[in-house]
Amino acid sequence: MSRPQIVAVLVSLAGIAVSIYLTLLHYAGVVPGCPVTGPMNCEAVLSSPYALIAGLPVPTSAAGIVWFGVSAVLWLRPLSWIHLAWSAVGLATVVYLVFVEIVRLGVVCLWCSAAHVLVIAIVLITLTVWPARDTVKE
Amino acid sequence: MGARRPARRAPVRKPVAGTPPWVMPAAVVAGLALLIGAFLIIRWYTTPLPPTPPSKDSTAQIVSTITALPASEFDTVGQGTANNLVKPISGQALTGSTGKPEVFYYGAEFCPYCAAQRWPLIIALGRFGTFTGLQTTTSSSNDVYPNTVTFTFRNATYTSQYLDFRAVETTDRDQNPLQSPSPSEQQLVNSYDSGGTIPFIDVANRYAASGAMYTPDTIGGMSWLAVADSLKQPDSTQARAIIGSANLITAAVCKATGDKQAEVCSSAMIQGLEKNLK
Repeated sequence: MSRPQIVAVLVSLAGIAVSIYLTLLHYAGVVPGCPVTGPMNCEAVLSSPYALIAGLPVPTSAAGIVWFGVSAVLWLRPLSWIHLAWSAVGLATVVYLVFVEIVRLGVVCLWCSAAHVLVIAIVLITLTVWPARDTVKE
Repeated sequence: MGARRPARRAPVRKPVAGTPPWVMPAAVVAGLALLIGAFLIIRWYTTPLPPTPPSKDSTAQIVSTITALPASEFDTVGQGTANNLVKPISGQALTGSTGKPEVFYYGAEFCPYCAAQRWPLIIALGRFGTFTGLQTTTSSSNDVYPNTVTFTFRNATYTSQYLDFRAVETTDRDQNPLQSPSPSEQQLVNSYDSGGTIPFIDVANRYAASGAMYTPDTIGGMSWLAVADSLKQPDSTQARAIIGSANLITAAVCKATGDKQAEVCSSAMIQGLEKNLK
């Protein structure tokens, strides 16, 4: 495995850990420890309707487990268009969730932001190694 | 001297495009920064202004309305859609300045969850005594659920033959310091609200509740009068949430005070909720 692959797998595993933590807290009815005043408010974000997928009793963080899990598996394989497409899905989701936090709720959840940063890190790794794939043999 | 044919070299991988590899990641980072900036601007322009507060007479009328709801209203709603956050706690019995069981409230004016929870708290305690000096306010304009209409306990007094009430509003709606808990009150918060969630309500050290029992969105965009009017309709979304929450608090107070307010506590509905409180 190349170094970017190793880094991407490790970042994916970190994302799985954060997502599992948030999902477990959701089902335990516990709010993660983070500031609850001003623009930082995990409680407000995680207790909002946006913290559930389509109103179902499934937290958004569960989708994070799936995304990072698929990402970890993908990065064990050679780079392909699937990596780029999966990164695009993750980036679009992060943009939407950041929109919800800033515009709809007016507050940011630190733990959610940690997961967002990990998604963006994987997107950046994908884009960094992608040009090297577009090569020809002379 | 004949020309020598050069040896065949192994294929070399060579980038097709001359774009440096850092350009795309940098573009994504820049795009994200622009998007976040745009979101902040949208948020700034779409944050509503706080509603105009009602006059002193209107405020008194609204308080009178919500503290004089008929018993049938409470019985019809039951727990409604309220989330039962009341947990049993054990500690030395909490008594107030007159020696009666004390209900202790700890919150802040900026906090939207406190804004939501004050409605059922006032309604519940209104069944055991009388509030004076309640003033209208709204939660912060810059927090989640901005400008949630509510009342503040900062200058309020409460009299009851069954219990004492003590409230601490730590900051105003702009998060400026307002009131501080006494050392013993701070100890209650540390002991029974270790997560630091507000609002925190302690019912005589028998029961405690942290957080709001319904989402502040339930009364989002409504005026004080509109909320009060909605509570007259037991099937309204607001009544099912707020009166349901008030009934849970009432059940906790009834149990902590030995059902002394028989007119309220003898209700089959309240007795049923008391059984669920453990």
